[in-house]
Amino acid sequence: MTAAITPPRDGFTIQLAVLLGLGLAISVCVGLAAGHDWASPARLLAALTGDRSLDSRLITDWRLPRVLAAALVGALLGFGGCLFQGLFRNPLAEPYLLGSAGGAAVGATVALLVPLGVPQALALPILAFCGAWSATVMVLFIGRVSGVVDAAGLLLAGVAVAAILGALRSFLMLALSDESISLQVVLSWVLGGIQTPGPAGLSVLVILTGACLLLALTTGRGLDLLGLGEDMARSFGLDVKRFIAMTILIGSAVVAVAVAFGGLVAFVGLAAPHLGRNLVGPRHRPLILASALIGAITVVLADAIARAALPPAEIPLGLITAIAGGPFFLFLLARRLRP
Amino acid sequence: MTGLMVHKLTVIRGGRPILDDVSFACPSQGLVGLLGPNGAGKSTLARLLAGQPGAHAGAVRLGGEDVAALPAARRAAMIGYMPQAFTPHWDISPRMLVEMGAARRPDLPGGTVRSAISEAGLGGHADRLWSTLSGGEKARALFAAVTVADPAILVVDEPGASLDIRHRIQLMRRLAERGRTRLVVAVLHDIELATTWCDRLVILDAGRVVADDTADAVARSDTIAQVFGVAFETVEAGGITVARPLCGRD
Repeated sequence: MTAAITPPRDGFTIQLAVLLGLGLAISVCVGLAAGHDWASPARLLAALTGDRSLDSRLITDWRLPRVLAAALVGALLGFGGCLFQGLFRNPLAEPYLLGSAGGAAVGATVALLVPLGVPQALALPILAFCGAWSATVMVLFIGRVSGVVDAAGLLLAGVAVAAILGALRSFLMLALSDESISLQVVLSWVLGGIQTPGPAGLSVLVILTGACLLLALTTGRGLDLLGLGEDMARSFGLDVKRFIAMTILIGSAVVAVAVAFGGLVAFVGLAAPHLGRNLVGPRHRPLILASALIGAITVVLADAIARAALPPAEIPLGLITAIAGGPFFLFLLARRLRP
Repeated sequence: MTGLMVHKLTVIRGGRPILDDVSFACPSQGLVGLLGPNGAGKSTLARLLAGQPGAHAGAVRLGGEDVAALPAARRAAMIGYMPQAFTPHWDISPRMLVEMGAARRPDLPGGTVRSAISEAGLGGHADRLWSTLSGGEKARALFAAVTVADPAILVVDEPGASLDIRHRIQLMRRLAERGRTRLVVAVLHDIELATTWCDRLVILDAGRVVADDTADAVARSDTIAQVFGVAFETVEAGGITVARPLCGRD
């Protein structure tokens, strides 16, 4: 009898979808209520049901877009992390730790500080994408050339690339900024933070997040196969080389959008898939969805703390996720390295 | 449907030939055993037979086509490959593994996965985590996943290594049964089991083919004794010749 062994969780059950959806709804409400001056549930309800008083408009016109942006960036970070973990076949892989987010940040910094003669709204995502892509390819290449495939080796390669890119970004900021550009703006973005988007910005973010999610979902079967190792994946029909190249492109797009709208936010991409795996099991298609929802919940709550903890100042979002996520990462690392 | 043709296969690694001008033909049916001492190049050959990548000269052909150049999906439907070592990166269940193996043939009838799982004796273990399975259960789950799509060619690399004697014999029987209608190429270490169950034997030594004949002929020849450096006796049983190592204690 195998009664003592709990079967692995497998797939998205209705209960789970309801639970995570409810969690997201509650965290959005918390996000709407949170701020310099906390809104009561009654005020929240009034605002959401069409009241046009100044208080209500503060919530619907200012907080709502910001909370939605936080949810979308969180979703991107969550399923982006899931793509990276699947791609690197490593539960410690994360765009931030592996330097991909750092690469996107270098690209974005160039777009913000260098007059390129193209609209910034166009240059920023494209350069962020190029940065994320080159950094990811570089880490994967270093890992492959040096033959390290284990968690620690790959993370070290990622940490080195991230450090180089961080230095490069700081140098660019020092060298290129002048009176016309507020370094404060760039810095607060580097530390991670959701800006309150206008209607156009929010629409763009919605479309990009949706497109990225659909692309990510197409990689589900391939990531499952890749998790068997490259030989088995190949013998089960996966064109491994092409699939990895494709997934790096998709993952870089996800990271670029997340960084362009949310700056550098650490550890959400690590924690969300990890928690998701406990809920829906190791199959990647349900895991991508679960990671997106968990990431959204996490960032909405973290952003609420960012706005409400030290009013009137705002704490950078990246600091909050790093303080909360860093110990989580260390815990996972310790558990993994223990013989 | 023709079997596999190995044509002048050469692999050089670190200046040393792993496979040295290897040529032989496998029929489209039968169980072919690949034997040889450690380091003879058996696993390298098995990988290339299954179309896995690796720098090489020469070719493995299947019906005139180079298996290394076949599109991944087509190769997966035609050739099953069971590597020597397999550790999934995520803690999957045998059911997930078998389902992934079945997905390479979209035309499989419903219920195939379930019957493959119960045939492997994993009926009660199909939803357990990989990390909780015994070595034998893992090997049986992998075998079920590789064979569930019923590939015309099956390449297995030391499939019996982690199995107890009962399961090892059961596995050899199943490989031989498959060999009646399909081609099975198996890297084997146990000479006695190989000569008992295989139809043909190919013996590699230092990257070269030193014997390629029916199992009975190989069992009776002196080649295995020379290659392995161990004396063998032959036993006739039920019309087949079995070679058994003479390892009496002095």
